[in-house]
Amino acid sequence: MTAVAQSPDAAPPPRSAFLQLVRAFNANKTSWVGLATMAIVLLVAIFAPLLATHDPVEQNILDKLKGPSAEYILGTDSFGRDIWSRVVYGARISLWIGTVSILIAMVVGSVIGMIAGYFGGKLDILVMQAMDVLLSFPSLILGLMVVAMMGPSIGNLIFAIALTAIPPFARIARAPTVSVKERDYIEACRALGYSHPRILTVHILPNIFPEILVMGSLWLATAIRVEASLSFIGLGVRPPTPTWGSMIREGFENILDTAWLSLVPSVAILIVVFALNMIGDGLRDVVDPKLKGERGG
Amino acid sequence: MVEPAVLSVDGLTTEFRIAGKWHAAVRDIGFELARNETLALVGESGCGKSITALSIMGLIPKAAGRVAKGRILFEGRNLPELADDEMRKIRGDRIAMIFQEPMTSLNPVLTIGFQVAEVLRYHRDLGPGEARAQALDILDQVKIPSARDRLDDYPHQFSGGMRQRVMIAMALACQPRVLLADEPTTALDVTIQAQVLVLLAELKQRYGMSMIFISHNLGVVATIADRVAVMYAGEIVEIAPVGELFDRPTHPYTEALLRSIPRVDRTSDALVAIPGQVPPISRMPQGCRYAPRCGLKQPICERAGPPLEPVPGSGATHRARCWVRAGGTGAAA
Repeated sequence: MTAVAQSPDAAPPPRSAFLQLVRAFNANKTSWVGLATMAIVLLVAIFAPLLATHDPVEQNILDKLKGPSAEYILGTDSFGRDIWSRVVYGARISLWIGTVSILIAMVVGSVIGMIAGYFGGKLDILVMQAMDVLLSFPSLILGLMVVAMMGPSIGNLIFAIALTAIPPFARIARAPTVSVKERDYIEACRALGYSHPRILTVHILPNIFPEILVMGSLWLATAIRVEASLSFIGLGVRPPTPTWGSMIREGFENILDTAWLSLVPSVAILIVVFALNMIGDGLRDVVDPKLKGERGG
Repeated sequence: MVEPAVLSVDGLTTEFRIAGKWHAAVRDIGFELARNETLALVGESGCGKSITALSIMGLIPKAAGRVAKGRILFEGRNLPELADDEMRKIRGDRIAMIFQEPMTSLNPVLTIGFQVAEVLRYHRDLGPGEARAQALDILDQVKIPSARDRLDDYPHQFSGGMRQRVMIAMALACQPRVLLADEPTTALDVTIQAQVLVLLAELKQRYGMSMIFISHNLGVVATIADRVAVMYAGEIVEIAPVGELFDRPTHPYTEALLRSIPRVDRTSDALVAIPGQVPPISRMPQGCRYAPRCGLKQPICERAGPPLEPVPGSGATHRARCWVRAGGTGAAA
């Protein structure tokens, strides 16, 4: 009878975003695997000059289409270029294009979504309709159109991928903004005289950032796939710069005799996409209320 | 009372659009607030207390509402006429407001220290270090125990009473001249209520601040207010110094309101309730808004709304909006 009743507000989970993240990752161990894998891939990309055994674009016709050996760890392609070195350097291009385009999409999409959600009204309807139009194109088709119009280059590729990823970020930012702006503490911010930009950046953004971050990790995987797909059909980075997509394409011509040419970059893409999705799953547990409380009990 | 009023509201009418038509939520509100004075606005839910406060703050949502008529004079300026960015400089700095719900009025993802310091950084252009030092000072003043250790805590680590103290600290950080307190103690335990009321009275004295205290709890009002304005259906029906109002309630509604307070010093089986309901905003009666529920109703009450007139036998400080009891227009018995 002496047990003290806990007041209902006594134990909400810690709201520090970082702690929540660690907790969710611990509950879902595979996300640590994903994170470790991505860390290794990132290190490989950064230290590519040290890890590569050959110049990735140097041709050596005498050694073309060699199998794996002591000199060429993963063999050579039809121009006699070292596949290991090309995969390692390819990680740089793929991660760079993916990361930059998703960062652009994240910033632009979030700004659009938050402004639309915060101010509402006709602006909201107009902007989100435009986003829906963009969203109705599959990202590969939209990327294809943009690169076909503007010509293949790293800059255009980043622009094309960012464009396809803006609408989902706008949506994911808008929905929680609409609900957060009605909270009492935002009303209190207005009563303190804070300006709209300040309320949006200082008070609303930290509340909706986890959602945006999850979206970012999942779309980074998509961006890398789209980059590979565009490179595969020849609309990506110009040869001889090594990218995973263009390496699959080059290997495709000899796929019946020397399957490893395509296999090696394919596995690289597979690993990265898989790792990013594992991270995304862990992150999603932080923000998905349906999963909260189910784990870690 | 030679000193000019800090805030004077005159003929304030705020309207909301319902199904395409504008309806007045508060009508012809007028009062003056002297320096260091506490004016209580009392009345039941929906009588327009909060709308009056939000009108003063300029926080009526533009999409659905507007201040249709009237003046709100503060520091020589008419607030409803000010541009948005000028009004923003006044809000939180010269006029501050605290809300009813301390549990949800703090941002859950930002620390207490940050949120209090932010007010000072925004309105006073202080650097982070200076703002933090002043935030600590003000948190001490609102009596947060070991405030220094709690600056980096998040709101969920605070109890309701402590959160309300933080809200008060944020509102008072810039030492406003007027504080609007919208039922600041309603959501708190009775013991905590008393502490917060004492704290508010103390801080008001220290800063020489004026306060508009919104409440539906007449017991609370009796302890904190200097003057009381009773609101009914969007109008002030009676306004008087606090002692005068409790001694000589004049408007039938005030009378009924005082009768319906549960008393511990009298034996009674049932609470006295006021029969009937407040008319909806879109169907206000043509005459006195209280007439349908009033026991003293005369024919004139249903024809025309009574003005707010001095009550016979007391100075000009006690006024009521009643044909029968004030104004002396023939019908007085």
